[in-house]
Amino acid sequence: MSDQQLILVVDDDTDLVEALAMKLESENFRVAKAYDGVEGFEKIKEQRPALMILDVMMPRKDGFQLCDELKNDDAYKDIPIILLTAVADAVNSTNYTHMGGKTTLADDYIPKPIDLNKLIEIVRDTI
Amino acid sequence: MTPFESTEQAKILVVDDESRIRDACTLVLSEQGAEVATAVDGDQGVAMIQREHFDVILVDLMMPGLSGMEVLSFVREKHPHTVVIVITGYATLEHSIEAMKKGAFDFIPKPFTPDQLRTVVAKAIRYNRALQDIADTNSRLKTLVNSLIDGVLVLDRDRRVVLANPAFLHMIDYHGESVIGQRIDELPVGDTLPSMIDEALGMDSDALTELVEELSWGEGEQKRFFRTKCTPFRNRTRVNIGAIMVLNDITALKELDQLKSDFVSLVCHEVRSPMNSLMMQMQVLLDGLAGEVTEKQREILSRAMAKMGGLSDMVSELLDLSRIESGLITREKEQLDFAALLNDQVTFHRPGAAERQSSIELHVDSPLPWVFANKRGMEEVLTNLITNGIKYSPGGSTIDVTCRVENEYLHTTVADNGYGIPAEDLERIFNRFYRVKDENTRTQQGTGLGLALVKSIVESHHGIVKVDSTLGKGTTFTFLIPLNEIVSA
Repeated sequence: MSDQQLILVVDDDTDLVEALAMKLESENFRVAKAYDGVEGFEKIKEQRPALMILDVMMPRKDGFQLCDELKNDDAYKDIPIILLTAVADAVNSTNYTHMGGKTTLADDYIPKPIDLNKLIEIVRDTI
Repeated sequence: MTPFESTEQAKILVVDDESRIRDACTLVLSEQGAEVATAVDGDQGVAMIQREHFDVILVDLMMPGLSGMEVLSFVREKHPHTVVIVITGYATLEHSIEAMKKGAFDFIPKPFTPDQLRTVVAKAIRYNRALQDIADTNSRLKTLVNSLIDGVLVLDRDRRVVLANPAFLHMIDYHGESVIGQRIDELPVGDTLPSMIDEALGMDSDALTELVEELSWGEGEQKRFFRTKCTPFRNRTRVNIGAIMVLNDITALKELDQLKSDFVSLVCHEVRSPMNSLMMQMQVLLDGLAGEVTEKQREILSRAMAKMGGLSDMVSELLDLSRIESGLITREKEQLDFAALLNDQVTFHRPGAAERQSSIELHVDSPLPWVFANKRGMEEVLTNLITNGIKYSPGGSTIDVTCRVENEYLHTTVADNGYGIPAEDLERIFNRFYRVKDENTRTQQGTGLGLALVKSIVESHHGIVKVDSTLGKGTTFTFLIPLNEIVSA
C-alpha cells in the first residue's frame, strides 16, 4: 500500500522503537527507524518522512540539536516533529512546547512514559 | 568605716618623699582593706611599678629625682590599666590641670583629710574595676571570636576594618600586614561583600533585617562558597555605626548537594528509560498488537502497568523535589496571572473529579494581583492539593478552591469534605514518603512525595502551608505566598 504515510522514529532505546513501530504499523503507518540523531538525519535524506518522532536524550546528536538543524533547513523544515521527553519536567497542563528551559521549534511533544493512544492522536493531528 | 567595695583587694602604691604622707596614706587606706605599698621617690616608684601591677598609684608631683609628672607619663604609657591620682603640695591649679591633661584620673591637694583621701581613692578603684571589666569582656570576646570556625569581619561607618578574625583572613587567603584600619575595598573580597556592607550601613535605624547572600571565591578546585550574613549595628541613639559580617563555609554542603543532584539525575535517566520502555511494551501487549490477550492476562497486565506508572511518578517527583531543594527551581520566577492559573488548574482537574462523580468549585471574589512565582511550581502545588482532595474523598464530593488577598499574602485554600486526616498523622503528612493508610486510603496509589513537594515549593517562595482536618468531615489545605517578594539579583 503505497499511500501509507512514512513515520521516522528516532530513539536510542531499541525496545521502545520496536514497541512504537508495532503500534504505528497497527494504525496503518509505515515506519523507518533510527537510533541516534546522526542516523536520524541519514534516514531523512534517504527517504523523506511525513512526520518524525524524536527522542530528546540520545548519544552523538540529541533531539534538540537535530530538531533545530532540521527546522533551520529550508529543505526539511516542513517535516513535522514530535519530541519525546524523558525529563520529568513536563507538567500536564502546559500546552506549549517548552522543556527543560529550552524553547524548541518542535511541532508538539509527548512526555515519557508515552501513552500510545495519545501519541497516535497527536500524530494524526500534526501530520 | 565601710571598706572599699571590691571583690578583690585593691593594690595601691603611694609615691611621696614625705614619710608623713606615706604613713598617713598607708594607715587610712589599709583600714579600708587595701594592700598599700610605698616608694620614697619617683625612681623607686617606677622600679616597683615595673615589678608588679598596681590598681591605683598616688604620686606626689614635687619630688627630688624623677618628678611626679614623669611617673605619670610612664604609667600612662606602659600600664594603661593603672589609675593615677596626683598629690599636689602647692594647690596650684596649673599643676593639677596639667596632670589631668596627661592622663591623671584625679588630684588631691595637700593638706588633705582622711575622708578626702578615702573618697578620691574609692572613686579611683571603682573606675579601675570598670576598666578591668571592659578589658575582661574584650578579652573574652576576642578569644571567642578568634576561636570561631565562621569568619567574622567588623567594619566601622567608614567601611574600615575594626576586627577580622583568623578564620575570615584564612577565607580570603590574606597573609599581609594587619587589616585593622584598612578600607574594605583594599582587601581581596570581590564586589558583593562591599556592596552588602553599603546596603547594611544604609538601612533604616528601625530595620531589623539582616542581609544574607551566597558568595564564592577562587576558581576550579579552589572555589569555595560562603553563606554570608551582614547586619548593621547601632549606638545608643540607634544610629548605624558599623556592620558585622559572618561567613560560613558551605563548600562541603554545596559539593554534597551537587553529588545528590547528579545522583538523582542519573537514577532518573537510568531507571526511567527502561521503565518507560517496559510500559510501552506492556501497552503493546495490552492493545493486542502481539496477539490475542485473554481477560485474565489483560487484568494482570493492567495491574502491572498501574504499578509501573506509580514507580515512574515517584521517580519524577523525587527529581522535582531534589531540584527544588538544590534551589534550581526557585530562580525561575516570573510575574504570574494567578487567577488564570487557578482557572486552568481547576478546568484541567474537572474530568478527573468527574470520574468519581465529584466536582471542583473555584471561588475568587475580587481581581487577584499578579504574583512573582515559579509557574511550574504553583501548578505542581495546586495539582497535588486538588488531586489529593479528589482521591481522599468519597465519590460525589465537592472540592472547594478559594483565593484571596490578606495582609500582603495571597491565601489559597483547597478544601474537601472527605475522609479527613487522623490527628496523629497531621504533623507528619508533609514528610517525604509519609502516607496515611487506613481502610479509606489503602487502595489509593501514591508516592508519599506530593505534600513534601508542596511544602518545598511553597517554602522556596518564602510562603507557608497549613493543614486543618477533622476526621470524617474533611481537610483544608491553605498556602500563603507573599505578594511583596523582591527578587534578589
